Amino acid sequence: MKKRLYLELENCIGCRSCLAACTQCGGHDERNRNYVYDVNPLVNRQTMPLMCLHCVNPACARSCPAQAIQIHETGAVLSALVEKCIGCQNCTIACPYGIPKFDTEQNLMYKCDLCIDRTKDGIPPMCASVCPSNTLQWLTDEEIEAKQKQFNLDNGKWVASMHLESETNVKVNLPGILQGVTKLF
Amino acid sequence: MEAQVATKPKVKKEHSINHAFASHFAKSMFISVLGLAILTFIGTRMFTHVDLNLYGYMVGTIVFLGGFFYRFIAWGERPPTKVFIKKGLKLLFRKTTPQTTVEHLATYRFIWNRGVYRWTQHLLIGWGCVLACLVTFPLVFGWMYFTMPENGYYTIVAMGISLITIPADGFIAYLSYNALNISAIMVIAGVTMALYRRLKNMQARAEQKFMYDFMPLYLLLFVSITGLALTFINMFLHGWGHSVMSLIHQYSVIITLIYLPFGKLAHIPFRPMSVLARNYREHYGEQSMKPCKVCGEEFVSTEQSQDVLSVLATNEIEFKKEDFHLAELCLPCRRKYRIAQFSGFPTHEVKVKEANQNAKG
Repeated sequence: MKKRLYLELENCIGCRSCLAACTQCGGHDERNRNYVYDVNPLVNRQTMPLMCLHCVNPACARSCPAQAIQIHETGAVLSALVEKCIGCQNCTIACPYGIPKFDTEQNLMYKCDLCIDRTKDGIPPMCASVCPSNTLQWLTDEEIEAKQKQFNLDNGKWVASMHLESETNVKVNLPGILQGVTKLF
Repeated sequence: MEAQVATKPKVKKEHSINHAFASHFAKSMFISVLGLAILTFIGTRMFTHVDLNLYGYMVGTIVFLGGFFYRFIAWGERPPTKVFIKKGLKLLFRKTTPQTTVEHLATYRFIWNRGVYRWTQHLLIGWGCVLACLVTFPLVFGWMYFTMPENGYYTIVAMGISLITIPADGFIAYLSYNALNISAIMVIAGVTMALYRRLKNMQARAEQKFMYDFMPLYLLLFVSITGLALTFINMFLHGWGHSVMSLIHQYSVIITLIYLPFGKLAHIPFRPMSVLARNYREHYGEQSMKPCKVCGEEFVSTEQSQDVLSVLATNEIEFKKEDFHLAELCLPCRRKYRIAQFSGFPTHEVKVKEANQNAKG
């Protein structure tokens, strides 16, 4: 059963487990590839994670002159192939979400590869497997659809999907709190 | 006025050498084969010293050139690649080019930074192959050959010029006979290290595919071992089976050559692009940098930003918002802007540094 990464942003408690777990993925070289942001840092404690959303038509791969960014058959947009990346940093400029990181010393771009060693076998990525607040979940399309029904708006769209640039493999849901919906866990 | 401007370059183009050829591919192929023929003509003193024993390699090299140009030209036609090749070549003569070239193509400094083990294996394989090519191709095309005008002394002839006369049992002669053995041992050591890493390293194990990652290594190993076997046969078996083994070796080299532009080994001819990319970034970085619309930090050269936008436009990707373009934001601001889109609160406008993004507690 094909599963996807699904983000329920409002649940984030800012523990940064996902960052720590990311560093422990085989081959991530103990560096995390995801982000957690304070929404309004000087006022409250609400945080939200930001991951690579694995676009269906990824700008990073389209802008790569070396064909270093490959798209896996599961839809995951992989990190740059080490032998191909020429260090031009086009991908970091192209990404609408500012996700790819660049190591000047190694002349190499690295980004979330959705823990492809795990997800290609249906095992959840490191971040989703450790998230204590169900912000990051690993769900089938049916389960995501059920979630979508729970939070849908009158116009038939997800709130979050309106704020993305294009179709993505990772599905994002917007906080129920901000919609005035009380969530029952 | 407009018509004049339009016709002027057209007239010039009619006399262009490009019109003599059906395609880029045909032109590149013609020039390369012609160049090889001329060099061989000079090197072999008007084809009087062709080593026909190596003629299979000659045919293999020309087939390789066909594959190489096919792959390289197709690759160079991709919009982002085209930009880097075109602008990078114009910026080839910069003060920093020699240093960048040595670091990227000879000493592999960036691989050292990825790990000493990987650097060692890469150095062994890379320079082993370079050494082998430097010996093999001059011999194949007759750019270098040995004559023995006087007993016990070899004369090395390079490009038709008698370069040096050396005693046949001397040190230089010893190195010449064994250059391919040395390179074979280097490649075998490097490939063994690489294979060991591919068996042990978790990321490598997760991502590797047999055909993409292992086969090139096995090919190199096969070439090196059959090459060493030739020496072994000569020294210990009195040449028993030499003719068969030399054919096996020849086939293995030719197959590797023909495969080279299409698989993982294609990174060898494509790697010089990284020098062009570095020059491009350095040059346009000095010209003018683009400040972030929100925080004002200069994050990329104006030129590169423009180039990426146009490349994305050819792919029909455009990240335009109501009153600005996403490319105007620096990367941290782009991320915060996305959070702002989700939450409705303008996170990117709060002047606070992004906190704790390194998972260091």
